[in-house]
Amino acid sequence: MVRFIKIILILTGISCFCLFSQPAFAKNRVLTDVKVIHASTGPKYVDPSLKKIVSELKSVFKYTSYRLLKDQKLNQHFNQKGRVSLPGKRTLIVMPSGMEGKRIRYQINIQKNNRSIFQTRVLLKNNSSITIGGPQFNDGVLLFNISGSLQ
Amino acid sequence: MKKPCSKYSSEDINRFVDNELPRDRYHELARHLHHCSDCSLLIEQYESISIVFSDHADQQKLKIDPARLKQRFDRILQNSQKKSLKNAFGFFGRNIYLKLASITAILMISLFTFQGGLFDPAGPSAIVKSVDTEFASVMIIETQKEKHTIIWFSET
Repeated sequence: MVRFIKIILILTGISCFCLFSQPAFAKNRVLTDVKVIHASTGPKYVDPSLKKIVSELKSVFKYTSYRLLKDQKLNQHFNQKGRVSLPGKRTLIVMPSGMEGKRIRYQINIQKNNRSIFQTRVLLKNNSSITIGGPQFNDGVLLFNISGSLQ
Repeated sequence: MKKPCSKYSSEDINRFVDNELPRDRYHELARHLHHCSDCSLLIEQYESISIVFSDHADQQKLKIDPARLKQRFDRILQNSQKKSLKNAFGFFGRNIYLKLASITAILMISLFTFQGGLFDPAGPSAIVKSVDTEFASVMIIETQKEKHTIIWFSET
């Protein structure tokens, strides 16, 4: 019985080590995926690669057409800025700045003509995404779907 | 046993000794015994055997000590309880590898469940900490189904 308890204690110790030593081996790269979508009230169309996200967007927006204009993947370190050129002389700057709890802290900046027009700080769930939208473009609007996953 | 008288069978004699014969048959046999020496002898033999048996049974009965009997009973009960506890703890019997594997599996499952719970926190896909814009109209929306976060701003 004593041997049995010893074995249990050793296994518990190993498990605790694995659990609490995790931050030491924490992942420090983030794969950021930026999808630039043009949403409009034109003829019904949904880009095949957007089906999952559009089902969510449709519950909020009245748009009938969702076209993928750009899909850019950025493999970033923390505090490394990633730039994505947007239509209409706009630029999107995304920077994962660290972790807060179990979420990725992102700083997102949209510039137009090299002037910041929108800035936000968000805590993104790992392997999840946020959509930022609003800029007018070609009888519709631009939506930026930004997803992040720890590597 | 020798039985030259053929009027009553050995079984009848035996039942007579044990007082198991019907009343009329018992009396009939009792009357017969007055003049049949063979059957009387046989009954005597049967009675002596019966006495030996009953004496032996009484002796065995007297040998039993209630205190010892209770002690024994308690010991047996304790042993059976121990066995049942042992069965409950030793689910997989004496196979230590199986025990280790099951414990490791339980630990791993609980660990991954715990970690999974931390990696997939409940709530919206993104928590908006701050928004800074020169535009007056900003909306933060959360979809019902997947709790997807949307920030909407109007450039106009």
